[in-house]
Amino acid sequence: MWTHLQIVAICMAVATTTGVALGLVVARWQGLATVILAVTSTILTVPSFALFGLLSIWVGLGNPPVEVGLTLYALLPITRNTRAGILAVEPSVVEAARGMGMSRRQVLTRVELPLAVPVVLAGIRQATVMIVAIATVGAAVGANDLGQPIFTAIGRSTGTLDRVLAGIVPVAAIGILADLVLAGVQRLLSRGRVAVAAT
Amino acid sequence: MIVFDHVGKRYAESVAVGDLSLEVRDGEIVIFVGPSGCGKTTSLKMINRLVEPTSGMITIDGRDTRSRDVNELRRSIGYVIQQVGLFPHLTVAENVATVPRLAGWDRQRIGARVEELLDLVGLPPQTYAKRLPAELSGGERQRVGVARALGADPPILLMDEPFGAIDPIARDRLQDELLRLQRVVRKTIVFVTHDIDEAVKLGDRIALMSRGGALEQYATPAELLAHPASAFVEGFLGEGRMVRRLSLITLRDVQLPKPDGARLPEESVDAGASLRDALDAVLRAPDGRVQVVDSGQVIGVVDAEAIREASR
Repeated sequence: MWTHLQIVAICMAVATTTGVALGLVVARWQGLATVILAVTSTILTVPSFALFGLLSIWVGLGNPPVEVGLTLYALLPITRNTRAGILAVEPSVVEAARGMGMSRRQVLTRVELPLAVPVVLAGIRQATVMIVAIATVGAAVGANDLGQPIFTAIGRSTGTLDRVLAGIVPVAAIGILADLVLAGVQRLLSRGRVAVAAT
Repeated sequence: MIVFDHVGKRYAESVAVGDLSLEVRDGEIVIFVGPSGCGKTTSLKMINRLVEPTSGMITIDGRDTRSRDVNELRRSIGYVIQQVGLFPHLTVAENVATVPRLAGWDRQRIGARVEELLDLVGLPPQTYAKRLPAELSGGERQRVGVARALGADPPILLMDEPFGAIDPIARDRLQDELLRLQRVVRKTIVFVTHDIDEAVKLGDRIALMSRGGALEQYATPAELLAHPASAFVEGFLGEGRMVRRLSLITLRDVQLPKPDGARLPEESVDAGASLRDALDAVLRAPDGRVQVVDSGQVIGVVDAEAIREASR
């Protein structure tokens, strides 16, 4: 269970940093947005089993291919939402900020990012819930996570249900808990921004 | 003083402003007015370099605006736009504090300034400071917009159709308040509108533009209404310009016939009244004559003929 959490935490940390940065870049350059969003969407269509297998060719068996794969999966929702959040900021708000003498960086850090936070968080939340579940498949390439009991159950004649439940119940618990916590954070940081989201 | 010296803005396929030269004197409200697409907003935005001119030069107090750091330049110029553009995640007080914060004022000074500004625009700080923009009416939002633009006490204020999206009654009140505010703060204000009545009401001077930023006429409202320089100007001014002009002139501004020996009329009007009000009084008076009173003293007598003479 701890390994499972650890894998998810590492992936989310890397994916959030990279995804937000990518999202900011593609919010500015539409041409790049088409390419990057296409690539990240394509990654998401590769079955996890195949992706982990493929990655294990380069990074070996165990946790590493799973960590790399999950990070790639988490990238799309975060990148896409960051871009959407930035683009949703009213142009007049940005114009006023520029007109008052904020530099591009100040406009980003003081106006655009704070206003995009709820949307970015929604992406992070979606990605987290998704990879908590997908991580179980990682057991197939030797990751020491909650997929282990599930995989060992396959093909057995007795005790199958117990083993599968031993994997599924904690995974579901982690997923639900993470979702609730992130939803709370999202609500907390969305105060006063609801109006923006609505318009 | 803001000087446009042969300023132009050309895009790949169009000319927004061809060749604009004019001077905006300190402490005056100058209105850029004209039909949509005449380049008035482009001209305004070239002052704070949100749009960079492709030819010519704009100077403020003799300094080329391009020689200054663009962000520092903008902090010295208040900017108000039609959509207001308040930061929705910040309170009214935080919005108003934006420029002082950027300028690095200390907390105490910012706090005092914010209260002063909110009072100035008629929003009591106790009630409004902690509200979010979403909780305000359109008129209140634009007041916050004006307070925010005045944040660090800039000598210049640019206003781009600030009251365009506000209902007529609130707009009229905001216009009156701007004039009251201007008597207190005495800024150099450049104000864009497509509404000639707003221009006549607020402007010390009006720059009337046609397509491509062509300056059709640059004059005081009274001069503009009395002597339109072209058919375009006359067309843009619309109906009844001489009657509208009467509101701009007070009895004190004009030469009045002295009371002759004849009997003084019973009706009276204050010398501070406009010619329009005086004409109204004349039309109401039984004998078509009204005495003009200044601080309790009769300084003249007006009738329809006198008003006609005075309005030329």
